[in-house]
Formats: sequence, C-alpha cells, structure tokens
Amino acid sequence: MAGMKTATGDYIDSSWELRVFVGEDDPEAESVTLRVTGESHIGGVLLKIVEEIKRKQDWSDHAIWWEQKRQWLLQTHWTLDKYGLLADARLFFGPQHRPIILRLPNRRALRLRASFSQPLFQAVASICRLLSIRHPEELSLLRAPEKKEKKKKEKEPEEELFDLTKVVLAGGVAPALFRGMPAHFSDSAQTEACYHMLSRPQPPPDPLLLQRLPRPSSLLDKTQLHSRWLDSSRCLMQQGIKAGDMLWLRFKYYSFFDLDPKTDPVRLTQLYEQARWDLLLEETDCTEEEMMVFAALQYHINKLSQSGEAGEPTGTDPGLDDLDAALNNLEVKLEGSASTDVLDNLTTIPELKDHLRIFRPRKLTLKGYRQHWVVFKETNLSYYKSQDEAPGDPIQQLNLKGCEVVPDVNVSGQKFCIKLLVPSPEGMSEIHLRCQDENQYAHWMAGCRLASKGRTMADSSYASEVQAILAFLSLQRTGGGGSGNHPQGPDASAEGLNPYGLVAPRFQRKFKAKQLTPRILEAHQNVAQLSLSEAQLRFIQAWQSLPDFGISYVVVRFKGSRKDEILGIANNRLIRIDLAVGDVVKTWRFSNMRQWNVNWDIRQVAIEFDEHINVAFSCVSASCRIVHEYIGGYIFLSTRERARGEELDEDLFLQLTGGHEAF
Amino acid sequence: MGESNEDIDQMFSNLLGEMDLLTQSLGVDTLPPPDPKPPRAEFNYSVGFKDLNESLNALEDQDLDALMADLVADISEAEQRTIQAQKESSQNQHHAASLEVPDFSGAVALGYGANVTAVSVSQYEDDLPPPPADPMLDLPLPPPPPEPLSQEEEAAQAKADKIKLALEKLKEAKVKKLVVKVHMNDNSTKSLMVDERQLARDVLDNLFEKTHCDCNVDWCLYEIYTELQIERIFEDHENVVEVLSDWTRDTENKVLFLEKEEKYAVFKNPQNFYLDNKGKKEGKETNEKMNAKNKESLLEESFCGTSIIVPELEGALYLKEDGKKSWKRRYFLLRASGIYYVPKGKTKTSRDLACFIQFENVNIYYGIQCKMKYKAPTDYCFVLKHPQIQKESQYIKYLCCDDARTLNQWVMGIRIAKYGKTLYDNYQRAMERAGLASRWSNLGTVNAAPPAPSSTGLKTGTTQANGQIPQAAHSVSAVLEEAQRHAETTQDKRPVLGNHHPGAPRAPQLPKSSLPPPPPVRRSSDVCGSPATVPRAKGLSGGFPAPPDDSLPPPPPPPPLDDEDLPPPPPDFNDAPPDFVPPPPPSFAGAAGSPLPPPPPPPPAPEAAKPPPAGVKRAPVPPKRKENPGPPSGGGSGEQDFMSDLMKALQKKRGNMS
Repeated sequence: MAGMKTATGDYIDSSWELRVFVGEDDPEAESVTLRVTGESHIGGVLLKIVEEIKRKQDWSDHAIWWEQKRQWLLQTHWTLDKYGLLADARLFFGPQHRPIILRLPNRRALRLRASFSQPLFQAVASICRLLSIRHPEELSLLRAPEKKEKKKKEKEPEEELFDLTKVVLAGGVAPALFRGMPAHFSDSAQTEACYHMLSRPQPPPDPLLLQRLPRPSSLLDKTQLHSRWLDSSRCLMQQGIKAGDMLWLRFKYYSFFDLDPKTDPVRLTQLYEQARWDLLLEETDCTEEEMMVFAALQYHINKLSQSGEAGEPTGTDPGLDDLDAALNNLEVKLEGSASTDVLDNLTTIPELKDHLRIFRPRKLTLKGYRQHWVVFKETNLSYYKSQDEAPGDPIQQLNLKGCEVVPDVNVSGQKFCIKLLVPSPEGMSEIHLRCQDENQYAHWMAGCRLASKGRTMADSSYASEVQAILAFLSLQRTGGGGSGNHPQGPDASAEGLNPYGLVAPRFQRKFKAKQLTPRILEAHQNVAQLSLSEAQLRFIQAWQSLPDFGISYVVVRFKGSRKDEILGIANNRLIRIDLAVGDVVKTWRFSNMRQWNVNWDIRQVAIEFDEHINVAFSCVSASCRIVHEYIGGYIFLSTRERARGEELDEDLFLQLTGGHEAF
Repeated sequence: MGESNEDIDQMFSNLLGEMDLLTQSLGVDTLPPPDPKPPRAEFNYSVGFKDLNESLNALEDQDLDALMADLVADISEAEQRTIQAQKESSQNQHHAASLEVPDFSGAVALGYGANVTAVSVSQYEDDLPPPPADPMLDLPLPPPPPEPLSQEEEAAQAKADKIKLALEKLKEAKVKKLVVKVHMNDNSTKSLMVDERQLARDVLDNLFEKTHCDCNVDWCLYEIYTELQIERIFEDHENVVEVLSDWTRDTENKVLFLEKEEKYAVFKNPQNFYLDNKGKKEGKETNEKMNAKNKESLLEESFCGTSIIVPELEGALYLKEDGKKSWKRRYFLLRASGIYYVPKGKTKTSRDLACFIQFENVNIYYGIQCKMKYKAPTDYCFVLKHPQIQKESQYIKYLCCDDARTLNQWVMGIRIAKYGKTLYDNYQRAMERAGLASRWSNLGTVNAAPPAPSSTGLKTGTTQANGQIPQAAHSVSAVLEEAQRHAETTQDKRPVLGNHHPGAPRAPQLPKSSLPPPPPVRRSSDVCGSPATVPRAKGLSGGFPAPPDDSLPPPPPPPPLDDEDLPPPPPDFNDAPPDFVPPPPPSFAGAAGSPLPPPPPPPPAPEAAKPPPAGVKRAPVPPKRKENPGPPSGGGSGEQDFMSDLMKALQKKRGNMS
C-alpha cells in the first residue's frame, strides 16, 4: 500500500517521504529517502535508514540530527508526530561522537572523540574520565579564540598532536591501573606517550613565545576569556561546534575538591599547568617576591620531571641513609672491641675548614675582604687570623641558626660571595664570605643554608644541596651570563634553563637574566627538598593564596548605573569592581545569598541577599547565561561532600546552571 | 630563706650522691669499667645545680617541692634503668656499657638568671610519646637462633632497622630540660620543668592541672620582653625551650600564664577578620553578629581548603623609621607571602607593590606603650623581629595602627599568614581540651550539641520576583541549609561520652562533620584528663565564659606538694633511694577539705599502669615497673625497648656468625 497515491498526489496511507542525509551536516552528503507516517517511531526510522544504506558498519553510535530545530532525535520510542517532524525537516544521520581537538591546560593539543549529543556537562565528564581527571564538574570547555590570520604565516611549526580517538573506554566505575597508568593508556606506545604528556609537567616555554602570546593589559582584557565558555546544559552540536574544531579544556570553577597527589596525577599536573600559564601570562598578578617562588618551584618541578622521578619522593626516608653507613660502621666496631668512642664517632659532624676572604661591612670602614682561616662546624662559623691560631679562640664565632643567606654570585666575573645576616641578641650582624671557585662556594653555601635551618652538614640533604647549587651555577653560565639581557632561543634549553621561561614577561623586562638567577636560586633553597607532586601542590597552593586568585571577570551594567562596571565572580563571593580604577566597590558573599533570578528576556540577573539587599545587572561582555552558570556552578560545588565521593548529582547541577531552554 | 636554702643545698647534694652511687654501681657491675663518662656526667650535674642554686632564692618552697618531686622521679627512673642495665649487662656486658655512654654525655646546662632557671638532667625515660618510628617495635622480634638461612637477609634487614631505631633513640636521650618560672595573673608564680620537646600546648596542659583553671581556649603562655616593651602569645605548637633559648642569660623577660581573648579571636568571630569592610563603618554592627552556622562555613572555607585564606587586609599604618623616632605613614597590604607597601606614586595593584617584610624569620609582638617610648602616634603598635634579637636594633620593625580593632586584625592576619592551618589545628586541640574540662565539670547537665537551627527565614525556590521565569529561581540558602543540616544531624547522633572515659577527645562545641578529623591527640588519654583534678574547675557552662581574673581559684597549697601530676609513687618506690626522703604520695586531704565537690576516685591502679593506647608491643624484656604515668608521659619505657632490641639483634648477629 505504501507508495500508492490518490489523484491529488497524496499518499493514501497518509505516509510521506522523509529525506535523511547520511553523514555529518554536509549538504553534499548522500541521502536516503524513506516512506514514513506520523506514527512511525524514531527507532523504526533508524532501522529503515540502515537498511537503505546497505553498508555493513557499526551504526550504534549514529543518531538523527534535526538541523532546523537544532535538536537530536534521541528518544527512539517517540513518534515523528510527537517530535513534530514534517517532510521539510532537514535530517542528518550521523555519529553522536565526533573527533575534536582539545587544547589542554598545559597547552598541548589532543584529538579525541567527544559526545556531540549529550549535554556538555556529561560530555566533559566522559572526556575527563578518558583523561583520568577526577571531579569533571570543575572543568568545562571554551571556544578557541579566533586566530588572526594575517600575521606571519611562514613559521608556524606543525605541533605534535596526540591522538586518543581510537581509545575506547570500557564502561564501569574507575579505570583500573596498569603499569602505573590507567589501563586504557597502556595499549600502545602512542597512548602511553600521551599519558606522560598528561601526567608530567611540560618544560618551561620559550621566552620568546611567552613574549609573543597575548597578555591582558587591563581588567577589561581579562573579561574576554570568559565570554567563550560553552553552555553546560546544551550539547556541542547545538552550540555550533563541528567535528575537528579546536576547543579549550580548562578548570572553570576555582574550587578544587579533595586534591590528592596519589590519585590525581593528571588532574594535579593539568591544574599546575593552568596555574603556571595563568601566572606567566599575567592573568593573575603577583608580586616580585611571589614570582620568584613560583619560578623556583617551576625550575624544581621541571628538574624532577626531566629526571623522570615521577610522583615518588626522592629516596626512602632522608636521614636514614647516612645512618645506614654509620650503622655498618657501628656493627664492625661493636664486634671488634668495646670501644667507647664508637658513638662519638657516629655523632661527629662533617666540618669545613678553608681559607676564605671575609668582609664585615661596618660604618666608617674602608677595609675590604681579608683572608682568614674559617672553620665551619655544626651550625657555627668561626674565623681565625691564620690556620696556626685555630686551636685558640677565634676572632669571632657566629651561630648561623636562623640566619639569612643571600647569594651574591657572578659566574662570568668569577665572583662567588655569600652574604650572611646573622641574628644575635643585639640585632643582625652582616658578614660576607668570598669563595675562590664554584666548588668551594657550593659546599660552603650548602652548609650555610642548612645551618640557617638549624641543620648540620651531616644532614642527608647536604650532598643534594651542593649539587643543586652547582647545577644552578652552570645554569647561570649557559643562561644569561654571556649576552646579558638577550633571552636565548629554545636551543639553549637543552643544557641550562633560561630563567626567562619561568617568569612573567614583565620581569623579563625588569631584570637581566643574571639578576634573576640568584633570586630564583634563593627562593629555590626553600623548596629543594620537595617531591614532584609536593612541589606541584605547593605551586597550586601559593597560586590560590594570591588575592586575585580565582576571580572570573565580566563586564556588567548595574541597574540604575550609567557606566559599565566589572563583576568578579569567585568561589565564595561576587565582587563589584570599578572598571577604570580597578578598586573593589562592594563584595557580596554567596553564603548571604537567598536567591537569584535571570530574566532571559531583558538579559538581566537579579540577586537577593540577606537583609533585603537586592542587586540587578545586565551582562555586557558575556551572555548572562555565563554569569548565571558561574553562580549556579559555585553553589553546586559548595554542596559537595567528602562522603559522597565522586558521585555527581548531575540533575542538581543542571538545575542550578541551566537556562530556561533546559526546561 | 637562708636556712631553707641550706636545706635545699643539702637535699641536692644528697641527690647528687645518690645519682653518683647509681652510676658507680653500674660501672662496677659492667665489667670493662674504664668508662670515662660518669665523671663527666657528674660535672654536668654540678653545673646545672649550681645554676639552680643561684636562682633558688627566687623560688618558693612549694615550687621547690615540686621540683624535687620531678627530680626524684628522674632519679627513680635512673635507678630503674640501672637495674635493667645491670640485668642486661650480665648477659652482654660491654655492649651495655658502651651504649650507656650518651645518656650521660648529652646533658646540657643552661641558666636563666632570676626568672628562669635551667637545670640539666640526664634523661633516661622518654617523657613524650615515642618517635613515630615506634610501630617498628610491633614487628615480631626475630626468633632466637638458630634461624633458617633463607630468612637471613630478612633478619639482617630487621636488625638494621632496629639499630637505626636505637640510634635515633640515642639521639633523643639527650633531652634538655628547663625550669621555667611562670607568672600567674594573681601575681604568684609557679615553677615547672619543661622538657626540650614540650610544646606550649603541653605546658599549658600541665599548668591546667596545676592551677585548676577552667581550661578555656583563651589561656595562653605569654612572653614579655621587659626591656623592649613587647609581648606576644606563644603559639600552642611552639617549642617552649627553643623560644626561651633565645633569651639572654641576664634577661628580664617573663613568661606569663593568662587568658587572652585575642589568642583565638579569629575562630570565635571570623567575620571580624574576614568580612570586615574597611572604611565602611556602617557595616560594623551587622557584621559583628553572625550565626554559628555561617561562622562555621566561613572558617571551613578559610582554613579547610587546599590552601588557607589570609584575610584581606590593607590600609595606612605608621612605620617607625630605622633608628629614628619619627613615624612615616604608608599604605600597607597583607598577603600570604608577606607585608607589602605601596611605593610613592604607585598604585596598589600587585605588580607595583614593594615587599616590606616576609614572615619566615620574624615573630609578631604587641608593642607596649610605644607612644611613650618611641613617640608613636598611637599606642596600638605591633612589632616584627627575629626571635633571636633581644636588644634595641634597627632590625626590629615597629608599625602603628589607628585603633585597637585594626591592630588586632593585623596581628591576627599576620599570624594566619605565618602559621597557616597550624593555627586552626591548635585551636581545635584547645577546644578539645576545653570541652573535656567542661564535660567533667557539668556532667549530665549540658547537652552535647544544640539542635540544628530551624530553617525559618529560608526562602524556598518558589519565591519569585514578578515577571521572572520561575524555573530560574533557585534558593541558594536552601541548598546550603540542607547540606548544613545534614552535617549537623550526624553531629547530633554522636553519643555522649560517659564519665568513665576521660580521654574522649571531641568537644561538643565543635559541630563539624565535614571537616577532616582532628589531628590525633598526641598523648595518651591519661595525661590530659587527670580525673582527680579536672572536675574542680568551676563556673563552667556549655560555653566558655571567662571568669574574672580574681575568681581564678587560688591554687590551695596542698601541703606538702603542689604537683598534682606527680603520680603516687609505686609501692616499691620508697625503699629505692635509701638516704633520701621521697615526697609522700599526693594526698587528697586538701581537696576534700575544700568546699568543692569531692573529686572522683583516683583512677584505678590498672588504668594508670596501662601502656599507652598505641599498644606498643613490648619486647620480652626483664620484668619492669611501669610507674610514672604522670604528665608528660605516654611514651613509657621506649628506651628499654630499644636497649633490649639492640641487644637481641646483636646477639642474633653473633649467633649467625658463629
């Protein structure tokens, strides 16, 4: 009966022809034409399409996309009538999962298959599961910024693109670990390399690149980024994303739940990378002193990740190692004789004795450095006129515990000085030690540093401290010693490390590399003993401690105000900021918030706080959906509880963040 | 006084003689006797006691009694150790002898003039819990030889571990002790012995037991630099001996025991520090009251995240210029990394700030009467200096605030930036301690926790402003409230602990289920709740009303011994030092005579003798006494363990060799 027409051309069984294109939304694609009625179920239509195509293939991921309505027809038991589908509908029969290129927080690109049909929230969750990042609710996707094509096309080196499109993740809970990585990464050398890229920090960027990359010069610039967030409650297809498009994966909500170095290697690393780029590109401002700490941590992290000591703390238990040697010694002696000084020997502490030149800055003195015989034992530094007088009383003895140690080094000038600021009941006394060469300097410097922390050279970290100092000196030689303020190209990074790659460009302008190196070294001494994950965690913590941390800026116009202002959204508060000056005008905390409403028609967000404080504003730089989602997202994140683990209340999230079209 | 001093001298020389005797007896029994160390030990003692003698004039009789009691306890330990060493040495003589040495050589003498007297006491028993490596002792001891060859490696490893452990313990055996004179707020003083490893918290606990105060969280140790006119609160985690070691010999600095509500003000009213709108006075009143739930969440947000949040603090302060008496007004900002100021002509954005000081090497003090001394604009000054600096110096930084409120905010802010989460941990421990005390004082009268606040004043999600789409309206507070309620119900379900369990560590005032569990209570329960003394605290309800200073129960001098924490000597104790009269066991007569409710019976003997809850399995050492559970204790006889372990290991080694 199907296909029989009446005289007017209508089909007698009220069936009609439905044209479905096969493939993604390419109008040139092949198409099949089916006869359907309004009562046909979507499932039946799918079956017919597959029959029509007559190709053997796994069609299970395919579904129908209705282009005009921007909607997937996913309810297979719904009829065409129920969808309101008519013959003029442009339908595409295509895969629900399509490849996209993801720009990770560490700025590397990764191709993988993402769901184009699920709400973004779910799509991100499955991406994160694939990348083994816990707590996907903290992340989201952004559109990549539009490229300015006009600028130099000659040199854009083809970057390495990791591919995870072939990896299929078995359903189930947590991917099992295999050879220290989630099992799905261990299939091939390629995916293994991809896991290393994900879980290990990247080397510092080329300083030249760093200078080229766009940096926000004002608060207004910082609002740009936040206009690009995708909508969590709609799918990628609905938001105009096409297969092969580039998207950025970023931590969106600055509220990191239960960060655990053991279970979160990828999450920790990517968060570290995001923090690092955030600071290097001056998205979050910090002071000079803070930047030096960040640089030292980056240097340390890079060193550890290069040497392949991933995750594990170095050594078993510092302090036990040197005991080992001592114990062997003890055993031998105990078996031999009952010598009573065995333990005295054990407790002896290595000391340094040498000729050094010493300078004590005083008022009204013109004396320079003078040669002395210097003995460094335990945490005490004593100096004598000459070696012969050493058994007697020293000219002066200083206990370095709690002192400040400042390096004053110029490798090219062969100047190796240690400035000590030693506390005493009367105040601080300053003394400068001048060493002859790198080696001597490294040993004395390491001793001084340990002593300032109350430890002696018997401490197991002494040797590594010496090595670290030597390494840093060599860095200075290759880094910035020669050409002064000219940053070097990437070719130099093989040997030493360019300190310019560790600091934001404004410090590149402010300091010469050889000024920067000792300051980074100085900060490094406090972090030198950290393991890779500890150092990453420390970096993230220091980042979180910055006053400007975790504020997402949007340009808004408050009701009743005539000028644009900035609204800062943080994980616990909203901040009204003067656009021109940057001053905080007013802060409202989420904990005092009673409700918020979005009027989608006039694009206005209205918030009511305790004590009948009402605030309303319209959004200028980003859609009010983004502001709404930020607020709802933070409220959602604050409801998370440790007991619930990783289980996600997706409905609540969508309820809190969804726009009116979600209902 | 002179006479009593002579008596004391006499007593001490007796004591010395006794110790000497013990050492010598050890020397005689251990066969290869050329042990050069005992004389050195004696030398150390004499130095220590000389210093002590100098300062004895300042001490009161009861202090001396307490001191003597402490010393006697040490002697008895020494004696017991000797006995054990003898037993061991009969098995394995020369090893024992050689290992005995550092015990004597480690004593260090320090003297601190009138206020603080240092005594060096060679320490045999660990007063504090054993080092974290202790669980090693749980390992089954290597079985006696002969041993299968296949296990040889394993055994060697075990032995190496043990020796390592032994060495660590040897290091620990060198324990320095100070006698510290603490000024009470009723102008009396108390002397107590402070172990090198004791933290301010331990000393406070000790003082709680001695003074029968209400143990609330405001009690603190307080150091006053008389000369510099600065003072500060000891942080609970600070090592007391370390801090005092920075004082000069002839210092007039003092340690006080008093209540300071500034100590943990931030945890009681976090909104005053975190939500204070600078310059906007109108918000002040509303800020000051905040319900407990919001305080809770504010604290959690600030102290329980991945990193703590330092209060945002900025404003103009006066800075004393180096070496001058002039003050310059500058705009300062507090950040987690230090104090910064805005250089002339710059803005207060991060990139323009100049670092004024970082906190790593400085402590924060209140400046007292700076107006008079340094011509400061106001008397609300705070001071930053390296703890070792004791005299006027250009390296001491003086800053001056406009009012007391600002001063408190800065001092607290700096403490938060400097100490971080430790401060919160300290507070929680102090709360536990206070909660414990208050539970004892009103058993059965106080509810464990107030019921969950009713959800009145909540707007549900259906409330909407006109003209708006209903679905978009969400009640934030409803969500938050629900989470909160959930937290509190779990809290309510916690059983009220009975009075038979003095060690119950949670304070009922701390409804905080979503927080990480409190740090493990470091000491065994019998230390913190000596049940005989705590219930005497009076005037306590569920909260922590600070009693007026004069209502502090003047410690009734329970003759002849003020030292409640000294345990009743074990039965066989009395005959140990023959020529020395030990103090009688602490009698409860004094307490019973007071109008206070009769104290509960002293803890049953088996309880007192119980090993610390860690359940350290002891090596089968010769039978030993486990007396001295009084504070600070808990570690028990770790030294014995290591000695016997070491011995075992060595024996086995020899067995394998032959």
